[in-house]
Amino acid sequence: MYFEINFFPRPDSPNQCPEWAIVDLQGSLETRQPVPLGGKFVGDLHFTKQNVPILIIGHHILYGKIVDMEKPFAVIVKDESSETATDRDTDKNTSVNYVVKALIKKKLLFKQRPKPIIANIPKKL
Amino acid sequence: MDCDQNERSLEDINTVLEYAKLELSDVKPTVQCIYFSQQLDNQSFKLLELDDTVLETLTNGEKVVIRGNTDDMAVLCTQTNTFEIKEAEISNSMLITPQLDIGEDVDDSGPQNTKVSKVISVMNNYYELRPCKPKVAKLKKLLEENMYSGKECEEDEQHQGHKYCFEDLLNIVQGSEVEIKESLKKLKACQIEGLWRVLDFDFLTQVLNHIIQLCEENDWLSTGIPLDECLETLGQLFPREVIAHVIDCYANEMKSGGGQGDHDPDDQPMQIDAKFFSLSEDKICQFFAELVLKNSGKFNLKEFLKVWEQTVPQGMRTSLSQLEGIALIDRNCMPEVIWYFPVEDLPEDVGERFNTLFKTREKWSLAEISPYIRDLTTLKVDVGGLLTKYARASMMNGIKVFSSRKPVT
Repeated sequence: MYFEINFFPRPDSPNQCPEWAIVDLQGSLETRQPVPLGGKFVGDLHFTKQNVPILIIGHHILYGKIVDMEKPFAVIVKDESSETATDRDTDKNTSVNYVVKALIKKKLLFKQRPKPIIANIPKKL
Repeated sequence: MDCDQNERSLEDINTVLEYAKLELSDVKPTVQCIYFSQQLDNQSFKLLELDDTVLETLTNGEKVVIRGNTDDMAVLCTQTNTFEIKEAEISNSMLITPQLDIGEDVDDSGPQNTKVSKVISVMNNYYELRPCKPKVAKLKKLLEENMYSGKECEEDEQHQGHKYCFEDLLNIVQGSEVEIKESLKKLKACQIEGLWRVLDFDFLTQVLNHIIQLCEENDWLSTGIPLDECLETLGQLFPREVIAHVIDCYANEMKSGGGQGDHDPDDQPMQIDAKFFSLSEDKICQFFAELVLKNSGKFNLKEFLKVWEQTVPQGMRTSLSQLEGIALIDRNCMPEVIWYFPVEDLPEDVGERFNTLFKTREKWSLAEISPYIRDLTTLKVDVGGLLTKYARASMMNGIKVFSSRKPVT
């Protein structure tokens, strides 16, 4: 088995890689009914003036913090275009390459217990 | 029906803020509305935790490869380092968001506005990298499948084993190019007709003896071995690659150029780029010690020292320090004995190495054990560190000695 990993070149800046982010939540997200999550609304993300991230999901408010990851993640995808048979003469294994699609250097970590929002307050007119 | 991702209004947002008892003045004006992407897919990519060296390598556009066989664990290699790849599962959910403004990226003034951010994947696992040393023992085993005994023997029964080129070795022995090259050097492997081989001991003895004989005949021991002339003379008996390799292993290149002997200035001027080598006294003496001890079992120490001194080329001095990592001496029995005990034949795994050492001898002094564990040290752990972890220290006759921490198997 042999794979090569390369950076995914961006047309505008060939040596740079897009940076993505992670919203890190304790536990898992659920919907009330077992429906697929695709397209669904998750929540509102706010930042305080002191850059504290606040996430409001459903009836919960979560306070978190910005974390500069000690070890960034590389998002690795199989490079479909490389999956062609190599040298037929040597009968080598086909080598598949992976591409680094993005780097993740920061995440929003929400590990405090979510606080419930009491939503029975009548809407202001 | 799925929400239209543009439908979330400022009114909705502010209502929620109110319920949450947050003031507009507490938060920055931009609100990011997070949605799951329509094409939410948790399988399409993998997360790989990056070590500093790996990140730098990738950013510089240098090669990073993953190698492994079906039965081995996969490793990641840069040009110079090897890492084990381990999967880590976590109980958290990581929402992967390609576009998210964080902290200072978010303006703290201006009118209230919204931005949509999509989660393309929810991940519960990632792959971490642990630095590791390449499996050199595997390399040794591969090269021993067909050891080189000379051109004439290549087709015979003992030489039907597989022969490997560098590319083959990279793929089978998981390690970086630089580390594999270093290991090949340590194993004294030689590239013959593009394939990497180790010389069998008898053959090596033949070659070395011829070189030494030539040195003695031409007084090269004092003036240095002229490489080209040596290759020319012995090239009829052995492949040049082999001769050059043996010289490289047992002699040092002379920087200032040799041939300082009786050089007649009227002769042809010395070529500036001619290479000269001087035999390494230590390495040659080690070789002859190996020759004497290799098939001898326990040798009477006094007798060995006599034989050894007689075997080495004239003018070379033997010394017990040359035998570190090659032979063990037992001074507690009468008469004192010595026997062949090379570090290269010991297990690579640290725990197994210590087990074997303590099985051989119950207590070791620092001077005795160091040559047998030095190859296991890393940037983070030195000989002292290894001993602290794997051995127990005690005093014996006023000297600090090390013994096993646990029952020896």
